[in-house]
Amino acid sequence: MRLVLLFLLLGAAPVLAAPTQQEIEESLTCQCGCGLTVHSCNHIQCGSGEPMKKEIAERLARNETKEQILAAFTQRMGEKVLSSPTMQGFNWFAWVTPFAALLVAGTILTIVVRRRAVATAAALPPPAAGPPSTDPLRAQLARELAELDRES
Amino acid sequence: MPEIGRLAICLALLCAAFSVGASLTGALRRRRDFVRAGEHAAYATFALVVLAAGILLQALLTHDFSLEYVAAYSSSTLPTNYTVAALWGGQKGSLLFWAFMLTLFTTIVQWQNRERNRELMPYVTATLMIVAVFFLGLVTFITDPFERLPVPAMEGADLNPLLQNYWMMIHPPSLYTGYVSASVPFAFGMAALATGRLGDQWIRSTRRWALFSWFFLSLGNLFGAMWAYEVLGWGGYWAWDPVENAAFMPWLVSTAYLHSVMIQEKKDMLRVWNMVLVLLTFTLTIFGTFLTRSGVISSVHSFTQSGLGPFFIGFLILVLLVAGGLVAYRLPELRTTGTIESFLSREAAFLFNNLILVGIAFAVFWGTVFPVLSEWVRGVKITVGPPFFNRVNAPLGVALLFLMGVGPVIAWRRATPKNLWRAFAFPVGSGLAAAVVLPLVGVPFGYAYATFAIGVFVMGTIVQEFWRGMRARQALLTESAPRALARVVGKNRRRYGGYVIHVGIVMMFVGIASSSMFRVEAQQTLAAGQEMTAGRYTLRFERIENHEDGHMASSAAVMSVFRDGVQIDTLKPEKRFYKKPKQPTTEVANRSTLREDLYLVLGSYDPQTKLATILAYVNPLVVWIWIGGLVLAMGTAIAVWPTAAERRAEVAVPGAVPAE
Repeated sequence: MRLVLLFLLLGAAPVLAAPTQQEIEESLTCQCGCGLTVHSCNHIQCGSGEPMKKEIAERLARNETKEQILAAFTQRMGEKVLSSPTMQGFNWFAWVTPFAALLVAGTILTIVVRRRAVATAAALPPPAAGPPSTDPLRAQLARELAELDRES
Repeated sequence: MPEIGRLAICLALLCAAFSVGASLTGALRRRRDFVRAGEHAAYATFALVVLAAGILLQALLTHDFSLEYVAAYSSSTLPTNYTVAALWGGQKGSLLFWAFMLTLFTTIVQWQNRERNRELMPYVTATLMIVAVFFLGLVTFITDPFERLPVPAMEGADLNPLLQNYWMMIHPPSLYTGYVSASVPFAFGMAALATGRLGDQWIRSTRRWALFSWFFLSLGNLFGAMWAYEVLGWGGYWAWDPVENAAFMPWLVSTAYLHSVMIQEKKDMLRVWNMVLVLLTFTLTIFGTFLTRSGVISSVHSFTQSGLGPFFIGFLILVLLVAGGLVAYRLPELRTTGTIESFLSREAAFLFNNLILVGIAFAVFWGTVFPVLSEWVRGVKITVGPPFFNRVNAPLGVALLFLMGVGPVIAWRRATPKNLWRAFAFPVGSGLAAAVVLPLVGVPFGYAYATFAIGVFVMGTIVQEFWRGMRARQALLTESAPRALARVVGKNRRRYGGYVIHVGIVMMFVGIASSSMFRVEAQQTLAAGQEMTAGRYTLRFERIENHEDGHMASSAAVMSVFRDGVQIDTLKPEKRFYKKPKQPTTEVANRSTLREDLYLVLGSYDPQTKLATILAYVNPLVVWIWIGGLVLAMGTAIAVWPTAAERRAEVAVPGAVPAE
């Protein structure tokens, strides 16, 4: 699970460079019904995507930040124009729930496995000491079982 | 003839309902004659559905525009192959096609088990026929494909131009095959719950069906991606569209099942989990069908909105209640004494593999339905698009890839330091070597880097397993390397077939990571003779070529492709204007090599100024996604092929039923 969290952090690392046209276009959903981001919509002279691209370029030229640009579109067109949920209010659930569910499931799994492992160990009687002469046979049996497990 | 088709559907519904009643009655009262009657009724249902589908196909091929369906989805100028595809290209036809495949599989299952699994079979038949009753009920009462127009149309409206594509000939049938065949393991699971025969019997009986379903879900997803790549023309192959998601979720859960079922077979553990996975896979196929037909979620792939949504929801609820109730009822018997002894074990690796697969499925489900949830809770429409899915699923995907390397080679029960060293020294060394080399060749740190390095690690484990298997046999029998390798694979088909499938998956991961992270884009408006640059390529716009026939008109930009000053190709990205739907489409010009795709789109062309806007994408390693699909198919073939012992048993006793 640490690996998952690590990569989540990597994925969420803030972008250090100035926002690009493409980056902002990919943060907005084309409203023509294609289901793609503004950047990906390839409809001929799209009545939604083309004006949005133009406006993004103008706002970038005025040195507006990504947040300002997205806020302007959101104010005018509603939250649906954003291509992914914001990390505020109820929208937090969109982001948190998948990982929370995984963490909860993983935790339950860990607890159950450990508990059953302990119970199994406690239930087993201590191994009886056999005659020393059986050690070679025991070792051979262990090797064969290991090979069987590996081969299966 | 359409009236006969209509009658056939009604009779099929009656036969299916009778089959349910007779099968259940026969099972509960232990009456063999009722059980046989139920099976015969299922055969009759199939025959009637074939008749109905055949009549609809004939109506399409003969352009009977008195039928609303034919008039809506075909035309007299539509090429024959696309006319056939119209059978499943529309809402009503696709549901009839679903019923056809379901009853076909029921027929096959009954034939396979005519002398086996006799205690399970009545419930298997009943379950499959309940599903058939649902779909035939929709076709009979809600979406009649044989509905006539008040006045016959003079000409058809044509199939949606986006569906007039080679991949759309094979993508829906593949996906439907995967969807519908998931009903078979589900039916056996229900039969196991109903009868209390909860051991391995139902799992062994459906092993190949589960793999069959998974395989066609794989193809369905891949062909859908190929279609999107070729037809939609936005440069990518996967946009996390709700309909794409609907096809992906059952694949994920089915994949989890194919892994966890091995734990049950070898360790008699995870019985409850496996049962839940089978039920969940089937449920997700119904949910996926619901998504494309309900209008609840908008999508470029959806059928026209109709009143089918509530019926699907009702059926889903019924399935969940009955299946969940049966699982709860049998819970004491499903529990086993087996346990996982250590986290450093194959069992644990498989379990976490399952956790991640189901986790990804849940994340996809959550992202897909969250817009609906948001609207219900807040009254605010939002969009959950590609950035969400990519950000949530990328780390999970990398973790999954890592476990793909660990699971097959870590020891059962508990790995000792010696085991770990022996199993992982070479693969980990390979992965670390890749991790060192990759930055030197310019791969920046990130998901692609992690994917490549872990991919090498996984390939290391697979190569090692093949090598050790071959060497072990050579040590015993003094065989040549190729012969020893062939024999080892032949005697362990599931295992080595699985390894080959893993190779395919690694290829896909690499292709997906590369094309996602390192795509180069360029867009320019050009006059004749002008050039633009995209990646290593220089592109020169030569001229526009126009073409027209009765079906459509098209304009193609002739582009010369140069690399290092030498012309290497001519590509013709195209715009088409279909006449009957009056709809424009984009036809991509794509040049695929093992290294990268050069993907050109004609954005627009202005006849007045004679300027063309060209979009060019350089997508690295895309072809490896498709090659990975082929490798996956080869691995599946290896895994599913009957063993020599099974083949001998079949030959030795004429007419004997195969062991599976």
